[in-house]
Amino acid sequence: MSAAKRVQQWATFARSWHIFDCKWQDPYESAHVIKKYLMGMHKPIYHPMNDCGDVVVCINSREIALRGDEWRKRAYFHHTGYPGGASWTLAWELHNKDPTMIIKKAVYRAMTGNLQRRHTMQRLFIYPGENVPEDVLQNVTNQIRQIRYVPKRLDHIPEEEVKNYPKVMEYPEDFVVK
Amino acid sequence: MALMRRCAPLFARCIKIPPMTLQSQKIHRWVAPTLVELKRREKKLGGKKTNPRNTFLEWNLEAELYAFGKRLNEEFDSDLLLQAFTDRTYIIKEEMKQKEMGVDIPMKDNMELIAEGEKFINEYVQLYLETVLPKFPLEGVNEVRNYLTNEDRLAKISLSLGTKDIILAAEYPVDNYILANTFKAIVAALLESTSEERAAHFVRDFVITQLQGKDVNEYWNIEDPWTMLTGILEKDGSKVEPRLIGEVGKNTLLACYRIGLYVNKKMISEGFGEKIEIAKEMAAREALKRIFGTEDHMKPINFKISGIPKGSSQERYQIASN
Amino acid sequence: MSANNLFLKSAFVRAPLKNGVGRYVCQLQRIVFKFCKSNGASRGMRDFIEQDLVDFSKDNPGVVVYLKPRRHRGPVIVGEYLNGDRLWMSVHNKTHEEIVKWVELFRTQQGNNWNSRLRKYQYTNHPSVQGPWTPFTFKDPELNTAELPDVRFGSNNRLPATATEQLRLMFEKQKLDELKTAE
Repeated sequence: MSAAKRVQQWATFARSWHIFDCKWQDPYESAHVIKKYLMGMHKPIYHPMNDCGDVVVCINSREIALRGDEWRKRAYFHHTGYPGGASWTLAWELHNKDPTMIIKKAVYRAMTGNLQRRHTMQRLFIYPGENVPEDVLQNVTNQIRQIRYVPKRLDHIPEEEVKNYPKVMEYPEDFVVK
Repeated sequence: MALMRRCAPLFARCIKIPPMTLQSQKIHRWVAPTLVELKRREKKLGGKKTNPRNTFLEWNLEAELYAFGKRLNEEFDSDLLLQAFTDRTYIIKEEMKQKEMGVDIPMKDNMELIAEGEKFINEYVQLYLETVLPKFPLEGVNEVRNYLTNEDRLAKISLSLGTKDIILAAEYPVDNYILANTFKAIVAALLESTSEERAAHFVRDFVITQLQGKDVNEYWNIEDPWTMLTGILEKDGSKVEPRLIGEVGKNTLLACYRIGLYVNKKMISEGFGEKIEIAKEMAAREALKRIFGTEDHMKPINFKISGIPKGSSQERYQIASN
Repeated sequence: MSANNLFLKSAFVRAPLKNGVGRYVCQLQRIVFKFCKSNGASRGMRDFIEQDLVDFSKDNPGVVVYLKPRRHRGPVIVGEYLNGDRLWMSVHNKTHEEIVKWVELFRTQQGNNWNSRLRKYQYTNHPSVQGPWTPFTFKDPELNTAELPDVRFGSNNRLPATATEQLRLMFEKQKLDELKTAE
């Protein structure tokens, strides 16, 4: 193979590193998006036997948002293999123990249950906060967009912008907001 | 219950279920092991012995030579064609045999034809390549020509034209050297039988079409593309600026860098590589390919130029000043 | 799901020596017709030789035709190709029309293809004119200099404009129109 072709192949099959901010996101919805990047299904060169998956780094996994009552009601099952080793852990308990587990289980569940699954899961890095090791952060070159809109908190917007924001109507001074 | 069980075979005989058989070729189970054993013994005795085609009962040299010419859509002078196929080794063997028998039948060998054919092929291919790759430097054109008129390539062409059976040589099977020589001799025979133009078309259709689907830059190895590029662009007075325009997985083993070369803030080429130096070198090679007009997406080489082309071109780049 | 334990190898469509690019060369080098002059099995073959053989050789002067009459043996067609393949086919009890068709097949084949299956019906050395895809092809160049994670690239940008945003835009537009009328 000539040098030009070799280098072209190297570039086409290069493995990119993506970053995903899990703040206030539903883990099960985000899992579908993350699994696409991990398996390489976002690439036109995808083939299940191709090993073309990318690396995804998830940050702020402590900040994920489950829907409705799920924090209180969703239970994760685990069996040690020994008799009497079944255990049901509620979502909030699991999250307190290890903040990365919920999103990890969600991505694992979203993938097809074949022998490549465990190998592909090793390409996923989950960090509970903003603190990511330097060498991992240096590799990252792309960001995956969040699925749910994260609104900006009022006390995080600078004061002058709040003051200058156009108002539809002025509340009278003695108006009491219920 | 027991009565039902005893009566079941009677009912079974009444209901005839057609047997379901899969369609498969009936090959006995001893066939494969026998063939394996026969092959082993053959290998032990030194491989498969094939007889040359001209020892078969159904062989007519005159008909074969006529068909050879007709197959290639060319009119050959039959004496010249026979001369082109006779090798020097065959002549020597024949003369020894004839001396013993006391008969003297003169047969001409193809030495002069080989020399003439080689000269014609080399000149024509050089002219054609110069016409078809106008901006490519002469060193590159020479390398491509050496690749096309290589002994192995000509032998392969000759083999695919069916000369293997017709060649008159001392040994069988014929080796590449004799095959390549026979091809050159055939070209010379065609040149003498018909015009230069027909011989040129013959060489074009069989030798030059081998370039189809091949990258012309593969055959010319440029040692230092960066200095060559800066040298060429300095003559125009422009400076090359390399910039890193993309990277993936910096700290991993599978790192990939993308470098773009800019001249007057406009991109002339980009290159990929595992390290920055490799990417820079490949970007320089791409820029050179663009300058010489031989990129991956260049216009396909024209294989239909008729007659003898004139190779001179004003746009050609000179690498060495001498 | 691998192919290395199957006996039928897979191959791509290829033309020997770039056949059509220059001139077309008929790949059949010589054809040998072996038949019996009296046996009934060679009847079709004999009919073919009597009626169609001369036209066949006139139409294909590049193919050498050999006839081999052999007593007490079945009729056979042997074709030899330019790539060295030798195809032996028995035409025992075949009719004249069938033999015509088989000879036409021999003429238009390019060799022995019994041991390979075609993976695709096309072949090209240049599958792409714009160049193969790389992860950089559709990537925003702004990402090169951005400090990831960045809100610009991370936030959802596909939701429709909120009511507040729409009102704000209407307000800005109103201001611009006022400025224009003032001018």
